Amino acid sequence: MRDVYVLGVGQTIFGKHGSLTVNDLGAAAALAAVRDAEISPKAFQTAYCGTIFSPPTPVQSILFRLGVDRIPMVTVENACASGSSAVHLLYNDIALGACDVGIALGVESLSAYNRKVGKGLLAIEGDLQGKLALSMPSFFAKLCNRLMEKRGATIEDICYPSVKNHKAGMNNPYSQYKTEVTVAEIMASPMIADPITVLQCCPQSDGAAAVILCSEGYYKKHNKKGNRPPVKVAASVISVSGAEDASFDPLEMEVMIKGARAACEKAGVDAAKDIDVVELHDAFSGEELAAYEMLGLCKRGEGVAFARSRAVELGGRCPVNPSGGLLSMGHPLGASGVRVVNEIARQLWGEASANQVKGAKVGMAQMLGGVLTGLESPVVAGIQILKK
Amino acid sequence: MSKQIIFHPGALDEKDGKLVQMGNKCRDCGKTSYPAVELCPFCSSENKEKVPLSTVGTVFSYSVTRVPVGAFKPPIIGAYIDLPEGTRLFGQIHAKVEDVKTGMKVKVETGVIWTEKDGTEVLGYYYVPLKPEDGGAKR
Repeated sequence: MRDVYVLGVGQTIFGKHGSLTVNDLGAAAALAAVRDAEISPKAFQTAYCGTIFSPPTPVQSILFRLGVDRIPMVTVENACASGSSAVHLLYNDIALGACDVGIALGVESLSAYNRKVGKGLLAIEGDLQGKLALSMPSFFAKLCNRLMEKRGATIEDICYPSVKNHKAGMNNPYSQYKTEVTVAEIMASPMIADPITVLQCCPQSDGAAAVILCSEGYYKKHNKKGNRPPVKVAASVISVSGAEDASFDPLEMEVMIKGARAACEKAGVDAAKDIDVVELHDAFSGEELAAYEMLGLCKRGEGVAFARSRAVELGGRCPVNPSGGLLSMGHPLGASGVRVVNEIARQLWGEASANQVKGAKVGMAQMLGGVLTGLESPVVAGIQILKK
Repeated sequence: MSKQIIFHPGALDEKDGKLVQMGNKCRDCGKTSYPAVELCPFCSSENKEKVPLSTVGTVFSYSVTRVPVGAFKPPIIGAYIDLPEGTRLFGQIHAKVEDVKTGMKVKVETGVIWTEKDGTEVLGYYYVPLKPEDGGAKR
């Protein structure tokens, strides 16, 4: 396997962009990445785009607007890990020597999706459990209830990631929200599924993100950002669940535990010691609280204590979601998996301004998708580890 | 009589005039899966038989949804139910919210779970708390 480097990143502001199409959003992010990398779009040898609800072939429609054509282009869908999957496929192509430089995009317009199917909780079409009213909040409410029953979490603990991430989002120019929230405000917001209230849920968003990856040879020849330390993708893993029986515990999701372990092994790092910053899928506040131990940032069963020690805040052992996370950044589904990789690259380059984790050398980008469990809606996690 | 349909293909079979949840029991790995699909989803074996699922189970975890979902009006109690054969199902519990607890025993019932705008009745399953008069082994 060859080393894979990050050459440039770009994204739109995440939020409500009802007047923009998926192609408008994607082209803006791709152009920002091209300008950041200071290369011609004509250099791309392959392209992937992660999305869930876009019209067909967004990757071509987006890149044609930048004059990119006649190269292999594929749109990939993998629930909330769609963007992670686009990055993963591009990473593999470069690592295995199939190409030297390419772009991975992620894009979503939930405004466009809502115009088509109506507003409300996202359900998976045709899913047996979804038809019986299992929704994302309903699943994660069970996870929160398990956190309280088995890990001694309080409502304050469950709300903590939302408080922390909304505060971090204040400093992020790309963030959907610029509002701090308190535990009292979170619990006073409308109840969706006990104990999850609106302010424990990420918003529905529109946006796009793009990352340009390349081989070592290409990087040495074409990197123009001499002030940036070289940042490598040290591991990329797509981890998929299987049929589940009564032994399944949402607090111990195999896709997360094994996926993170595999990524750390490939990157040669110890999650509890070496990872300096994490950007993860905090679609729900309690989901982040449950993720600390599953990703190996702390020991099994110690996630609540880890959070209470403030290890996951700026200045702590391993800040989690210093960008503001999905809770404050917003969550344009297909875009988020690319956005978290960009965020980690910025941290390792030392370009995260007010939310910079000082001296960050290793970072993890994670997405979790699916989750409407059962045979018809499996779970998938995407994990990338970046190193400088 | 209005038209009736089952909420999901393969979720319920009609047996002796009753609606029954049918799963696949694998003769190789021993696991029972639901709904029944082509091969054993655990070990890929073809060596399986269709069996009725246990009608009584235990609440592994539940949550109460406070907003409407599709045709369902809140509060919606959604639960993972563990069956004695080791299969986990998702279903709604029809009960007062304060009467539902993790670890409680529930039994399955079938009936109309919602009615379409054209009057079509949609049949499905749900769970109700198990009562002492439902019988079972004496303590």
